[in-house]
Amino acid sequence: MLMKLAGGRIYDPANGRDSAVGDLFVQDGRIVADPGPGAAPDEVHDLTGRVVMAGAIDIHSHIAGGKVNIARLLMAEEHRAAALASEEPCGCGGAIATPSTHVTGCRYAQMGYTAAFEPAMLPSNARHAHLEMADIPLIDTGGYLVLGNDDLLLELLASGAGEEAVADYVGCMLNATRSLAIKAVNPGGINAFKYNQRRLNVDEAGPFHAITPRRILTALAAAVHRLGIPHPLHLHGFNLGVPGNAEATLDSIEAVEGLRLHLTHVQFHAYGVEGDRKFSSAAARIAEAVNRRPNISVDVGQIMFGQTVTASADTMAQMGNAGLAHPKKWVMMDIECDAGCGVVPFRYRDKAFVNALQWAIGLELFLLIEDPWRIFLTTDHPNGAPFTSYPELIRLLMDRDHRLARMAELHPDLPQHTILGSLTREYTLGEIATMTRAAPARILGLADRGHLGPGAAADITVYTDRPDRRAMFEKPDLVFKDGRLIVRNGVVIALGAGRTHVVEPAYDPTIEAWMGRRFDKRMGQRLAHFRIAEEEIRGGNGLVRHACTPGAF
Amino acid sequence: MASNPAIHQDVLCPFCGLGCDDLTVEAETGGLAVRSTDCPIARDRFARTPPAEPPRVAGTPVPLQDATRAAATALGGSGAPLVAGLGTDVGGVRAALALAQRLGAVVDHALSDGLYRNLAVLQRTGWIATTLAELRNRCDLLLVAGPDPAAFHPRLYERWVAPTPAFQNPPSREVVFLCGEPLDSPRAALVNLPVTVLPGDPARIGDVAAALTAALPDPSRAVGAAGIPAADIAALAERLLKARYAVVAWAASAFQAPHADLTVERLVRLVHDVNRHTRCAGLPLAGHDNVVGANQVCTWQLGVPLRASLGGGAPLHDPYRFAWDRYLDTADAVLWISSFRPEVPIFPPGKPVIVLAPPGTPFATEPAVFIPVGTPGIDHPGHVFRSDTVVALRARGLIDRGLPDVATVLTAITAALPQEAAAC
Ligand code: SF4
Ligand SMILES: [Zn+2]
Repeated sequence: MLMKLAGGRIYDPANGRDSAVGDLFVQDGRIVADPGPGAAPDEVHDLTGRVVMAGAIDIHSHIAGGKVNIARLLMAEEHRAAALASEEPCGCGGAIATPSTHVTGCRYAQMGYTAAFEPAMLPSNARHAHLEMADIPLIDTGGYLVLGNDDLLLELLASGAGEEAVADYVGCMLNATRSLAIKAVNPGGINAFKYNQRRLNVDEAGPFHAITPRRILTALAAAVHRLGIPHPLHLHGFNLGVPGNAEATLDSIEAVEGLRLHLTHVQFHAYGVEGDRKFSSAAARIAEAVNRRPNISVDVGQIMFGQTVTASADTMAQMGNAGLAHPKKWVMMDIECDAGCGVVPFRYRDKAFVNALQWAIGLELFLLIEDPWRIFLTTDHPNGAPFTSYPELIRLLMDRDHRLARMAELHPDLPQHTILGSLTREYTLGEIATMTRAAPARILGLADRGHLGPGAAADITVYTDRPDRRAMFEKPDLVFKDGRLIVRNGVVIALGAGRTHVVEPAYDPTIEAWMGRRFDKRMGQRLAHFRIAEEEIRGGNGLVRHACTPGAF
Repeated sequence: MASNPAIHQDVLCPFCGLGCDDLTVEAETGGLAVRSTDCPIARDRFARTPPAEPPRVAGTPVPLQDATRAAATALGGSGAPLVAGLGTDVGGVRAALALAQRLGAVVDHALSDGLYRNLAVLQRTGWIATTLAELRNRCDLLLVAGPDPAAFHPRLYERWVAPTPAFQNPPSREVVFLCGEPLDSPRAALVNLPVTVLPGDPARIGDVAAALTAALPDPSRAVGAAGIPAADIAALAERLLKARYAVVAWAASAFQAPHADLTVERLVRLVHDVNRHTRCAGLPLAGHDNVVGANQVCTWQLGVPLRASLGGGAPLHDPYRFAWDRYLDTADAVLWISSFRPEVPIFPPGKPVIVLAPPGTPFATEPAVFIPVGTPGIDHPGHVFRSDTVVALRARGLIDRGLPDVATVLTAITAALPQEAAAC
């Protein structure tokens, strides 16, 4: 079937189109070249005056896996208050900060998102995460594998293994867990917490394995480079939430010595200790460093006000925050010699100075980092705010008057502590399209997503251009997934399964003999059983492989 | 599928949630035989594999399609159905929830009692917990609270406690049994470790936990509890404080006190307070028949755990009202799923009961519909969760008895329901 999307204003930064009026043609779920005047489309949508973009892609959103389920259990109040009956065709479920699988897929699709990636898949929990992701309808998914606190890697490093052996280990783990990228969470810190250490400096040897976080960070960044994984090492840095942590963030940028590095939820890592409150914005310094180094990318992890829950593998940081839990209950888990899990409910208050400044720091980062190809729109769902707050966040970025009006409602001391009021930048629609479509696809290596050129998957979102950008991005007119219309006027009209994006880097399998022995002796599980078979992912339907190019990135 | 007779190596055992994946199982005429371990649960369950038998409607053998249609008619006509047992793999649970959404049913797992004693505390206060490999590699003091969990998880000590902790230096470990005697054969696995038994009233484990918690700031002021003298409480508090990584393990389903969740709460409080001084984590054990997996799927699909009703539009969780054994009286039709064991409860008379269970399952009263199904990990591959909730495992199929799996049967029943909008 041939479909024509006629006359829209196309924002397709990957192909150099910025509000270019034109037609799109879709056949068999893909965008195709204009078939010429002789072709008779079976279906035509007149999009005159409408804004057309690729489906949006969220590169960092905690949507599935053990900690998400713990968060759902802990947030029982929200599930009582916000339970949802089935809105045909979506199934029932509920909640906002900890949505059930159907609600997750449907809410994303309703906002014009067609992919969201789970950024913290623990090796031991990968099979669970995949089973759960398969139950999220409509959107594509994939997971980033958390390494850097796994005793096996630390043992390998302690044994003096070279770069090649580390890359082989990482390659094997990526393949075995069907992951898309590598994430490091407070490298060494989660492991140290298991020995009751509550802080670990970047150059301090950790307990037992006696490896420094710097060593772990550089080893993983090098492994990613060597294996040719498209996405740079995805780093949840040091001392999350601690005033003064910007030093460690800047240090991480230096540590990788020009290798690519993605700093995730950098807002939580951009704090200084200046001023009367010993808590200040270091956004300008971080932005300056990012602007200068093309090997660095970030996502913001913007906070928005209201009740949410923080869920992270970083038990060291979460244990430090547990006293702030609201409501007062929290869960910590040490997990399977590979990481941990800390779930702490939290309410960001607009009248609280610290939260107001966190909000401003996030926006400063958005506005000071110049290249929209290297900064990504995230709230670190649900840690900074539920992903459903993206439309409001987009409005804050695109509408300075709205930003100033909102700022005036916050804690009265805020203006003396932020330069936000002086920042005049307003994101353009083209920049939003870059930040939420083209750039995420490029930095994840998804060659056929995030753009509208021939060959791309026909994941397409159509908006009415409204001056109220929140209203515009909350409720797209049409959303197509793989060429199928799934949302009309913000309402889901058809259900379908997404796909799972993975990379399968080549590695030397001789490492598996060593790993196999370790699995037997340590993990009480055979390496063969740890490995997830292709038919386990969406019943064998829907695995999408992306190319790795060793040494290229 | 291997042909008989065959020896299967590295078989993953799906039954108790401990995730043993090192079994040798031999197919012989009349069933399977476990060769590599004397775990009584594995030996019994793998051995109970009689040949397939046809489904029955009102006691009469019928083709599968007739049975699923009869089940759909009975369930479709009910006003307050119960979909329970849920002894099945992840695929089976998904299919059961899909059916339950169509019916507006109440859902629960047969063995959710122990699970809910733990979940009640998780939801009320949260906790600090750990997983089996952390126990194996980092724990230097294991405190077993209450009746020996090895009754439910026979290879717990052999696989997760007897091996030397790899990530502690020096690699020491000791085990303390509190208000419970170690069972003989599991204890044999602990012969090389220092084991202390502190006998006390098992109905008052919570009091002991509270006494230990109170003693942490100053063990010299400890008081006795549940028949355990003050001096022993003091000594144990000292040991907890000196431990590098203490683990407190319990099987809540074995707790006998009337408010067993309060016992769990006091153990959780103890773990919490020890963490002010050193590291300590709880290990709640409850994993038979994939109860943990059933709860995980339910939580991710519905946002709420099991013991949920899908009858009123949105999912509603009520651990009291929607416990299956209580709701059994209210329900006007029952679908019971038990693919891991040929055992079902006695159902009250006067309502249609549909059972999916292995062939040879005995019944006190013949159910309205009985559909023999295969067992995940024996007849077909399937995903089950380990007791620690983190690790999902994939068991493989070993033999082909020609039995359908639960997901297939439930999907057929759902497809045969009268067409109407979903209840939830
Ligand atoms: S202990 Fe549990 S998992 Fe291990 S063999 Fe026995 S029943 Fe199976
Ligand atoms: Zn995150």
